[in-house]
Amino acid sequence: MRIVIAEDAVLLREGLAGLLEDDGHDVVARVGDAEALVAVVEEHEPDLAVVDVRMPPDYSDEGMRAAATIRREYPGTAVLVLSQHVETRHALELVSSGGGFGYLLKHRVLDVDDFLDAARRVSDGGSALDPEVVATLVAPRSRQEALAELTPRELEVLGLMAEGLSNAAIAKRLWLTARTVETHVRSILGKLDLSLSGDDHRRVRAVLAYLQASGV
Amino acid sequence: MAFFAAVSMVVLMFFLLLADRLEAPFSDVSNPFPLRLPAAVGFLRGPVWLAMFASLFVGVAAARTRYRRSRGVERLQMLWLGYAVTLVPLGVVGFLLGGALFGAGNDAVVPFLLAMEAAVALAVGVAVTRYQLYEIDWLINRTLVYGVLSASLGLLYGVVSLASGVVVGRGSTWATALAVLVVAVAFRPLQGRTQAGVDWRFDRRRYEGLRRVRVFVEEVRDGRREPEDVGAVLASVLRDPSAELFFRLPATDSYTDRFGVVAEPIGAGGTLTRIERRGQEIGLLRHSRVLLERPDLLRSVLAAASLAIEISRLRVGVRLQLAEVEQSRARVVQAGYEERLRLERDLHDGAQQRLVALGIVLRRLQRSLPREAKLLGPALDSAVDEVGRVIDDLRTIAAGVRPPRLDEGLAAALADLARGSPIPVELEATTDRLPDQLEAAAYFVVCEAVTNSVKHGAASRLRVEAKLMNQTLRLLVADDGVGGASPSNGTGLLGLTDRVRAQGGTLRIVSPPGRGTRIEAELPCGS
Repeated sequence: MRIVIAEDAVLLREGLAGLLEDDGHDVVARVGDAEALVAVVEEHEPDLAVVDVRMPPDYSDEGMRAAATIRREYPGTAVLVLSQHVETRHALELVSSGGGFGYLLKHRVLDVDDFLDAARRVSDGGSALDPEVVATLVAPRSRQEALAELTPRELEVLGLMAEGLSNAAIAKRLWLTARTVETHVRSILGKLDLSLSGDDHRRVRAVLAYLQASGV
Repeated sequence: MAFFAAVSMVVLMFFLLLADRLEAPFSDVSNPFPLRLPAAVGFLRGPVWLAMFASLFVGVAAARTRYRRSRGVERLQMLWLGYAVTLVPLGVVGFLLGGALFGAGNDAVVPFLLAMEAAVALAVGVAVTRYQLYEIDWLINRTLVYGVLSASLGLLYGVVSLASGVVVGRGSTWATALAVLVVAVAFRPLQGRTQAGVDWRFDRRRYEGLRRVRVFVEEVRDGRREPEDVGAVLASVLRDPSAELFFRLPATDSYTDRFGVVAEPIGAGGTLTRIERRGQEIGLLRHSRVLLERPDLLRSVLAAASLAIEISRLRVGVRLQLAEVEQSRARVVQAGYEERLRLERDLHDGAQQRLVALGIVLRRLQRSLPREAKLLGPALDSAVDEVGRVIDDLRTIAAGVRPPRLDEGLAAALADLARGSPIPVELEATTDRLPDQLEAAAYFVVCEAVTNSVKHGAASRLRVEAKLMNQTLRLLVADDGVGGASPSNGTGLLGLTDRVRAQGGTLRIVSPPGRGTRIEAELPCGS
């Protein structure tokens, strides 16, 4: 995978690049702000851009806006946004708007395998949504009646579906067989009255849309 | 008229000097001049004396005419002259009358005439040098008051001693004592009445002015008018619509208008008069220069109004200080929110990122280990776990300082708060976006109220509302706990009051013992 990294904290940027390179990827550019990011994406047309949300000059949501620009104007480049803290609104908008987008909290990087999985998934056109964002969606207090009917295990599976994981990945994460996961998924979709097939990403969108509609 | 007066004077002098014999008490002195008037013109003596008296009154009339034609300083000068020339005929008449009634000797006339001449000289001196020029109104007023007062008391004394003389016998000391007693008792009320009467008769404006100011002060005392109206009352009483009153703020050098707006008093076509009370400046009155001709009017009206002015300036001062304290509280609270934001950013962007970078270094180290290094792997795992726990702690602290989800609005932040609460929270929050500071204030108000319920309320259920109604954010935190919460027991609710008041809002805490706690806050949105 050809990757560009936009992160203003040098230590973190080099660490990220090292991790990705260790995994056999090609980090073609490392920049420190959003403007430079769009320029290197234009120049290198990478498979993936790993982007910090807060960057110079204003340290607000430059990375998020650059991510939206890249997804719109360079469809060949997937974007994985890393954030210091949870910010659901933009993340949900972007994840729901189409594949090739991921939103993770920075410290998820320390679960290296999950992080690398997410990076691959996103660059393959899938999604990645941080568990904490998902948690705000399926939190017990904001649950609708339909969600209340789910078993704890089914809720867990629903959360992982929302994070963008495929059935196989869910099975691996939960130490279950693929068939058990499939059973859970069918049961969940039945209880929530969602009819879906195939495409992982369409499933993510549907699940997110359902969860958002049930009120954050 | 002045001409007539002068001519008749000269003729009289001439006549007197060249007469055969001088009048008593100078009858012993023989005429020093070589010339003598023939005795035949002796019959003219009476008419010439009369003409002289007439000329004294004509002089008064002349001064009066000129006084009426003059303006400004000249007017005051004429008043001084008029005062002096009026004293002379009045004095002479008074002297003659007194002589006729009480049989005083002609000898008494000498010091009297000398005093009279001195008074005329003094008055002319004042009129020319303009020293104390403005005191003339006061002087005339006092002369009138004490002249009338003396005459009335004399009359009273005479009547009482005569009447009592009839009863107890003429020449009795009892009669005298009684008359003295009556005069002494009558003095004060008579003085007040005479003063009012003279004011009313000769200075209607001052009399009316003082009366209106006194009525106003009464109304202030009864709470029917605001003391700050004193400026308008003064302008009306002094008949100077341009007059403006400035209150000197206590313990400062600045002045304000009646609304507490700090103002720089400038003459602006008029002049400024300092208003004092017990030696302390309490204000300034800007008024037309015309009023300078009536310093007594200005002085007495301001003195009568000084209590209202003093009260006003203290009230204005207190209001300003209160506003200042409220602003200062708002600034402190606002600075608190800004500091929280800065701290939260520092924690997230600084320390947390460094820890993540450290974790990545450890992970890369771990992943680069050869397969044989089986001991190091788990050690690095636990090191990274520890880093992860520190990051979690840091994020918890940062969220406590200021939840980052406030960036997404009050509803999102409150939803997180509800999710993190150890007891179930029923939440209903507006998704409208409000000014940052208001959202922060509302969040922390709810947060502190919820914390209070959880910590002290022993509640099992919470209801939180944040609704926007008519440009007002209404917050409600209600629990079903033990109640009895009050700002006086524990600091939590006190801080809440500060936060609400800093936003110009109101707070209501209903917490009857045993029946739950209900905290309602209203924060205005419009600014």
